[in-house]
Amino acid sequence: MRTLLRRLLWLVAMLLGITFATFAVIDLAPVDRAELAVARAAGDRAFADLDDRQRAIVLLRIQHGMLDPATLEPTPLWRRYALWLGNAAQLRFAGPGGDHAALWARLAQAWPTTALLGGLALLLAFGVGVPLGVRLGGRAGTRGEGLASAALLALGALPEFLLATVLLTVFGAAWLHWFPVSGLSTPASAAWPAWRQFVDLCHHLALPVAVLAAGPLALVARFVRDAVARADRQPWADALRARLRRHGLAPAATLAGSLLPMLVGGSVVVENAFALDGLGHLAFTAAAERDLPLLLALVVLGSLATLLAYAFSDWLHARVDRRVRLP
Amino acid sequence: MSAAAPAVRGRLSRSPACWLLAIVLLVGALAPAVANGVPLAVRERGAWSFPALGEAFGRPSTAPDGGGWRRWLQAPRADDVAVWMPLVPHDPLATDASAAGAGPSAAHWFGCDAAGRDLLARVVHGARGVVAVAAPAVLLAALLGVWLGALAGLRRGVVEAVVLRLVELVACLPLLLFLLFASAWCGGSATALRVALVALLWPAFARVVRGELLALAEQEFVRTARGLGLSHGRVFWRHVLPQLRGQVATTAAFALAAAVVGESTLSFLGLGPNGASPTWGALLRDGAAAAPLGAWRPLLVPATALVALVVACHRVAERCQPDANGARA
Repeated sequence: MRTLLRRLLWLVAMLLGITFATFAVIDLAPVDRAELAVARAAGDRAFADLDDRQRAIVLLRIQHGMLDPATLEPTPLWRRYALWLGNAAQLRFAGPGGDHAALWARLAQAWPTTALLGGLALLLAFGVGVPLGVRLGGRAGTRGEGLASAALLALGALPEFLLATVLLTVFGAAWLHWFPVSGLSTPASAAWPAWRQFVDLCHHLALPVAVLAAGPLALVARFVRDAVARADRQPWADALRARLRRHGLAPAATLAGSLLPMLVGGSVVVENAFALDGLGHLAFTAAAERDLPLLLALVVLGSLATLLAYAFSDWLHARVDRRVRLP
Repeated sequence: MSAAAPAVRGRLSRSPACWLLAIVLLVGALAPAVANGVPLAVRERGAWSFPALGEAFGRPSTAPDGGGWRRWLQAPRADDVAVWMPLVPHDPLATDASAAGAGPSAAHWFGCDAAGRDLLARVVHGARGVVAVAAPAVLLAALLGVWLGALAGLRRGVVEAVVLRLVELVACLPLLLFLLFASAWCGGSATALRVALVALLWPAFARVVRGELLALAEQEFVRTARGLGLSHGRVFWRHVLPQLRGQVATTAAFALAAAVVGESTLSFLGLGPNGASPTWGALLRDGAAAAPLGAWRPLLVPATALVALVVACHRVAERCQPDANGARA
């Protein structure tokens, strides 16, 4: 319990550090957010002339605290930072007003897709990776094991975007037409019965989850294989064969945390390739539009999730292996 | 552990993965001299010139008559002129409508893409991305990481706490998201990408060096050296660091694989650094667009190069590890 508390304290300190860096990054970025916002809104908010546009930019700058409303002079750095920190404390990375609400609305709309994809991929990675690793570890040194391990290495080395492209080409768009290539449901599926909608969802999820799970699966299997092979050579291995599983599981538990950054990165690629409306796709759109506040919110949320996952996997490791004492 | 270094070197020189890695780096560094429409060497009236080699070092060249090379090469030549072309005598950007979508042939070893550009020449020039972005980033990250890791391991106290917290902080950053962020921050600038990669990769080195330092500090030879009055820094650089070569090389190989994949992914998404010659990620982007139309070669050739390099990095990393070949040995 105390260790968990200490972890949480570190978490808060780290978050503060992140916000310091964050402010510097947003404030020093060579992108003028007011100009950008005006340029982006040009579709639904037409400006009568250049003066009108200039006025909108000044208004936005005042709203974002970049200009002093009374004198129209640029505000000093510390005032900007104080304002920004006040906003950030409420997780308002986009600044005041509508911007902020729109940002969270976009995040709220996108996260269920990513959570579904990531959860299923994690399940697949551990569900297949651990038994596979245990089997391979028990046969370490045989020719079949060597081949399988080499195949796992290649699978882990395959960049996600490549795997996605190959699977899309072979099973989707060009050759076999076995799986749909985009979205999470068939356009006309709203009228279908629930079971058919579920089957449809699984059909759409198969390829993206396979791509997302490939890297973590290879990693988990190799890790477990090495751990089991090492334990297998210990003198007590024959007597305590039952404990092997536990010794193989311990490293897998520590792995859970480090898999999350992989999944976050993978979801950018996968959601982009399969046109899924999740956080990864949002990150890609934000990067293409140079929408720094949104990207920053995503980076911070991703780091936070990873931090929690690390804390969780440490705790899990201590549960699986009693010799581990948390610092 | 102390006998690891020569053994590692012996294992490395027999490894095809290590040779592949070296070849990719060499080819990437000298790409204009390996694949170019410009001659490698020209002898005219007894005077030698090496235009393609010059281009590899950033000097643009003109044909002897002051015009373009293409016309000069096709024009009838006098007797005392000799021309040696590079290994792949094609410009990666030159289009040839008559060879559009062509398969492998004597002229184009791996065929051409839909615009008639030689695929091998494009892959060779794509390796420049590895040399220009990923490799320097890993090198800088290694220097920074080893230095900070050594500082943390030797000084302990506050320095160690700060370095460790930084390491933990960076470990939580999702690599690709951070690269996207860097790309959005500075638009497609290669320097920004390099800086972002260094920021993401140094902690791995720092962690390894610090961990090994803690283990080595109690060993006989370190104590002896300290007892002889050598300073912390001298003991580290002269006596401890050589012991860590294998570990650092392992980390560097993994980091190189991560950097190459990160850079390619960014380029594949269309957010990579904009340079004159397309990197492997950008080639794969073109290939992926063409693959559903049945042209699979523009996808397959750069994909093979990328996967081979990443697998080679992993193999080299495994080889360099002093005592982790475990059950495989």
